[in-house]
Amino acid sequence: MTDWLWLGFDAVQVIALWVLGWLACSSRDVRRAITLFIAFGLLLALTWARLSAPDLALAEAAIGAGISGALLLAASRDQVAQSGPSSAQPLILRGLINLLSLGLFVLLGLALWYGIPQPRNELMLEVQAMLPDSGVSNPVTAVLLNFRAYDTLLELAVVLSAVMAIVALGPMRPTVAPAGFLLSGLTRWLTPMLVTVAGYLLWVGSHAPGGAFQAGAVLASALILLLLSRLPNQPAINAGLLRGLLVLGIAVFVGVGLVSMLFNQHFLAYFPGTDGGLILLIETAATLSIAAALTLAYAGGHPADWDRFENRQLPDSAGENA
Amino acid sequence: MADPIVWSIMLPLLASLLALAWPRRAAAVALGGAILGLLASIALLVEIGQQATVTHHLGGWQPGLGIALRADAFSALLLVMAMLVVTATTFYAGSYFSDRMQAQRFWPLWMMLVAAIAALLLSGDLFNLYVTLELLGLSAVALAALGNSRASLEAAIRYLTVGLLGSMAFLAGVALIYGGYGVLDLSQLAQQAKPEILTLTALGLMTSGLLIKAALFPMHFWLPAAHSSAPAPVSAALSALVVKVSVYLLVRLWLDVFEPALPATAGLLLGALGSAAVLWGSWQAYRTQRLKLLAAYSTVAQVGYLFLFLAVILGMTDPALRQQALAALLVLALTHGFAKSALFLCAGVVLHRAGHDRIPDLGGTARALPMTTFVIALSCVALIGLPPSGTFLAKWHLISDSITTGQWWWIPVIMAGSLLAAAYSFRVLGHAFAPGDNSGPMVHWAREELPALTLALLATVVLGLGAAGIWDLVAASDLYPGAAS
Amino acid sequence: MIDQTLMYGICGAGLFAIGLRATLLQSLLLLRVLALNVCGAGVFLLFVAIAYRGPAQAADPVPHALVLTGIVVAVSAMAMAVALGRRLSQLEKDSG
Repeated sequence: MTDWLWLGFDAVQVIALWVLGWLACSSRDVRRAITLFIAFGLLLALTWARLSAPDLALAEAAIGAGISGALLLAASRDQVAQSGPSSAQPLILRGLINLLSLGLFVLLGLALWYGIPQPRNELMLEVQAMLPDSGVSNPVTAVLLNFRAYDTLLELAVVLSAVMAIVALGPMRPTVAPAGFLLSGLTRWLTPMLVTVAGYLLWVGSHAPGGAFQAGAVLASALILLLLSRLPNQPAINAGLLRGLLVLGIAVFVGVGLVSMLFNQHFLAYFPGTDGGLILLIETAATLSIAAALTLAYAGGHPADWDRFENRQLPDSAGENA
Repeated sequence: MADPIVWSIMLPLLASLLALAWPRRAAAVALGGAILGLLASIALLVEIGQQATVTHHLGGWQPGLGIALRADAFSALLLVMAMLVVTATTFYAGSYFSDRMQAQRFWPLWMMLVAAIAALLLSGDLFNLYVTLELLGLSAVALAALGNSRASLEAAIRYLTVGLLGSMAFLAGVALIYGGYGVLDLSQLAQQAKPEILTLTALGLMTSGLLIKAALFPMHFWLPAAHSSAPAPVSAALSALVVKVSVYLLVRLWLDVFEPALPATAGLLLGALGSAAVLWGSWQAYRTQRLKLLAAYSTVAQVGYLFLFLAVILGMTDPALRQQALAALLVLALTHGFAKSALFLCAGVVLHRAGHDRIPDLGGTARALPMTTFVIALSCVALIGLPPSGTFLAKWHLISDSITTGQWWWIPVIMAGSLLAAAYSFRVLGHAFAPGDNSGPMVHWAREELPALTLALLATVVLGLGAAGIWDLVAASDLYPGAAS
Repeated sequence: MIDQTLMYGICGAGLFAIGLRATLLQSLLLLRVLALNVCGAGVFLLFVAIAYRGPAQAADPVPHALVLTGIVVAVSAMAMAVALGRRLSQLEKDSG
């Protein structure tokens, strides 16, 4: 009986995801599309929870729905330029694209149906077997920061590249209006709580769902709230510190990797017995970097004294800002 | 400790971090990173010379559970070429950026691009390849956007959206592979690949993604604008390297990993698209009015040649002959890498002097910039395929292989492409040698012109004369022994 | 094949197609980026559906780690696209 209930629930999920995805993609109004997208993200987080992926549910809610949504909403104010054909494409092209999408859908469905008769458990069993040696007991964290740590390293590099591009393009988005008393009051309460939750997520990631990315996203939310509320006595962002934070995650990662190559023959091989501690060290650095990166990504550009840091030795160019 | 395969990736990455954190010395840091990266790649090549393939199990875990870095002659030679191009271009770029702000934003991204190229060439894991593709794409777009004009931003946005589509397609293919085979490691996959609908769909998706990134006709539309409106050092890297490594990945996946699963007609399709690219690209290069656009269209054509090669290789059955043809493809790729980057650097010099790169108005260039004009001529020799350039050897090999495998229909395409290349080369040189306003004195800017000269010489002389060593190296490698061998 | 794997796998295939179609047809950059994200969500669903092992057993952690990486990469790419668009509209406004 419960099987049928679950099947019903899943059918509703699938259809809801399709409907929300379709509406978000085909909406003409930007605000409506973004709101639908955020709802889509939250529904997706629910789906991850349904499919036994709690780490993903946390990350999707924080990053996929939360930060992406905030980013898009802020961007909708930019009156972002039209790029690409401004009028509708010719009918033949539209028809071809529709045909292509439909064909891909059918092809993927067939590939799934015929190609995956039963689940392949080889890697899963290997992970389970090696989990005790990995230094953590959450298998997702073990894969992310031990077995396939190099992927995570490169991923941090991807984030950094995006941030380097964003700060190269121009200054931060100016805040639209000073925060009302509701927002500033809420921020005073929420920020310490968010920081605590971030710390908790970082710590708990070694033995329960959580980890550096989720923690970094929550920390970024706290910083974004601070940005939005423009509380008095907010210290100016120190560009040097910001550069250091952005670089910290990858630097610690590569440093640990090279030192372990020195003593243990292989890059990122860690040392037997200290795996857990090293993972926590890397995760802490990564959390700070990700938080700084996501906040800068939301802000949309470099802070005010970014260039002044570069031109510190040239006092006459202190007034220059890109 | 001395694992050059790891250092080749980590040195540029560390240089990028240092350049971001220490902007005052960013140029010196980048130059140091480039040179050290070059040394690491040469060390790797030496290792390959001794043991044919190099493997490094990251984290000490067995491949499958963990990620493995792998290199053979093919990837190591491409890496050395990339590092040489990067080092020369870094020299050049030191004097290119007049705006200090722009320069300081350039260096960290530049080193990140280098790290991405190394990471892609040396990766042995399917999902890791996706991450390196994203890293490569994002840093390339970021660099292309540094041009800061409307044209470069529009081109960068198109490059980004198209590139992301390609990455999504690639990732979808990876998902299917994991579902069907349960492995992500390339060597494990090579042992198991079977021709069935899941594998074909996955391969099709991954190939589409890579074709978009390699700008093969008809997915080339983003390239001319992006490469021509980027700053000259960036264009050099984009045309010579970024496009090339996507082709490398495709060749690697088709020939080494998915070989048993390939349908017979796939080669013909790729060859047809390659032919269209050669003809269309060369024709547009002939018609265009700007030097940088000419170079960009020429890249479209050269990518077509690489796919023609792949089509011919797929038609061959003898593995020894295949390895030889693969070596010829590699020589073509290497030569184009050097020649195209040299051409873009020259375009940068011309732009600096004349303020524009309009071909009909290039009169007087030969008198004012003799070294640059000489380098343009050398690059054109390599692009057309005149002896002793590497391209000549490669195209000759391609033609003779087409005849032996009975695929003679590619030969008219190759000839037409070479003729058109000669046409557009002589057009440029003709304008350059025309008398212009003799206002400027003869200029020699060693820092600006020497790197391009080195690269062009590598393309035309070194590769042409020293290709025998490459043949031997490639013949010895068998990186992903499949189930059949 | 586990029912949920097939169901959610097909869901992912559908989202991939929906996102792909919208990316190719949309003219506004912001909406194109949004569509790309939906496309990405489809691929992530493929991974997680493949990883599912039923209510009694823990899921395969490897695809979860891959998707986590993918989510972060996707948001970075989106942020970059948004910043590029913003800069372009600034330049367009300046040049009139």
